[in-house]
Amino acid sequence: MSADRSTPPGLRALWHARPSYYPRTLWALLLTLDLLPWPWGEDILARLFVARAFLRTTRLRQALRWAACQPRPRWRLALALCAYQGRLVAQASMLGRRGPDELRRFVLVRGGEHLPAPGRPTILLGFHLGAKGPDVALKLAGHSFIRLGGPRVSRSWLNEAWRRFLSTSQIVVPIDDTKFLSSALYEARRRLLEGGTLFTLGDGHGRPAFQLDLPGGPLPIRSGWLALRRHTGAVVLPVLSHLEGRLQVVTIHSPLPAVDPDPARDLHACRAALGQLVQEYVRRFPEQCPSLVYWDPDPGVPPDGTAEPTSEALHSGERAV
Amino acid sequence: MSDDSVLKRVDAIVARVAGPARLPRDPTPETPLGEGGYWLDSVDLLEVIVACEQEFGMSFDTNDDLSEESLSTVRSLADTITRKTR
Repeated sequence: MSADRSTPPGLRALWHARPSYYPRTLWALLLTLDLLPWPWGEDILARLFVARAFLRTTRLRQALRWAACQPRPRWRLALALCAYQGRLVAQASMLGRRGPDELRRFVLVRGGEHLPAPGRPTILLGFHLGAKGPDVALKLAGHSFIRLGGPRVSRSWLNEAWRRFLSTSQIVVPIDDTKFLSSALYEARRRLLEGGTLFTLGDGHGRPAFQLDLPGGPLPIRSGWLALRRHTGAVVLPVLSHLEGRLQVVTIHSPLPAVDPDPARDLHACRAALGQLVQEYVRRFPEQCPSLVYWDPDPGVPPDGTAEPTSEALHSGERAV
Repeated sequence: MSDDSVLKRVDAIVARVAGPARLPRDPTPETPLGEGGYWLDSVDLLEVIVACEQEFGMSFDTNDDLSEESLSTVRSLADTITRKTR
């Protein structure tokens, strides 16, 4: 694999880049595993999370409870969820991912035909389901858009190759800063009205617009993207991502119904369309849905299955609005 | 300083977005738009900003006009609008 070996940041800078929700031990482990070539660190972390499940059984019990609601062997699914959670942490931290070039061949985008013609306001609506970073995968596949989300923190994101790749097209939202988030939403609206394409996450913490009822528990859907859709008439394309072995498959689905002037009917139509998509996703890839298992109602932490700030404090680096 | 008509119009917009359930008992221009006041969240604030844009026929600069300070109270938002439309 070819890798962009631009000057890495110093160890001190990396250590100080630790987000508050990562405990020191986890951050040290991530920095160490990041020295290994991709995907070794990811594989190791997946196994560590399975081992840990037997030492700290709370998460294993949660996984078993959720797995019991799925039409799959319970123990096998619960352990797969634990492993996948480790994989998500590794993906969020971009372990071993030195630069964009080496990852392009591990990305496949389906459903590109659903994208409207350039110049039409478009929202690509991701979810905390499946493989991390569908926005990165889309960019690797050559798609152009503005990302509205939280700051990314990892050794790789400090790497010049990744910074060059992503720097020009982000509206970064600090976690839990309502006023800044509102100005970020306003900026996103402006870009959409200019005919731009925006990627953001539709599920997670924040004011819920509605919830999707799924086996094992509901998934709250946030209201920020709905406000942007209403104010701009943007086409909304749900984007779901899953892993097939090493390959990250990102599927762009057909657009949600156009905005209905009746708010209640509009919400109902969006809920029905998203519900169908997400239910099908969970049925096909339940092992890739730890966010549904480890949903934490604490509004300060994203629901990516890695959220437990007092112990693991793992973070997606993405912020839904 | 914001003039009274701007202040009243911004106040009306904020009250409409907040709705009767969140309207403070004795609101003043210094009542916080967020926590402890009108309890507007980021989506509510977007609604307020867009409504002000339409009401006053102007647009905001994300970096210069929509700071934490300018979105603090009805008065601070009205001051920003007055400065922009003067």
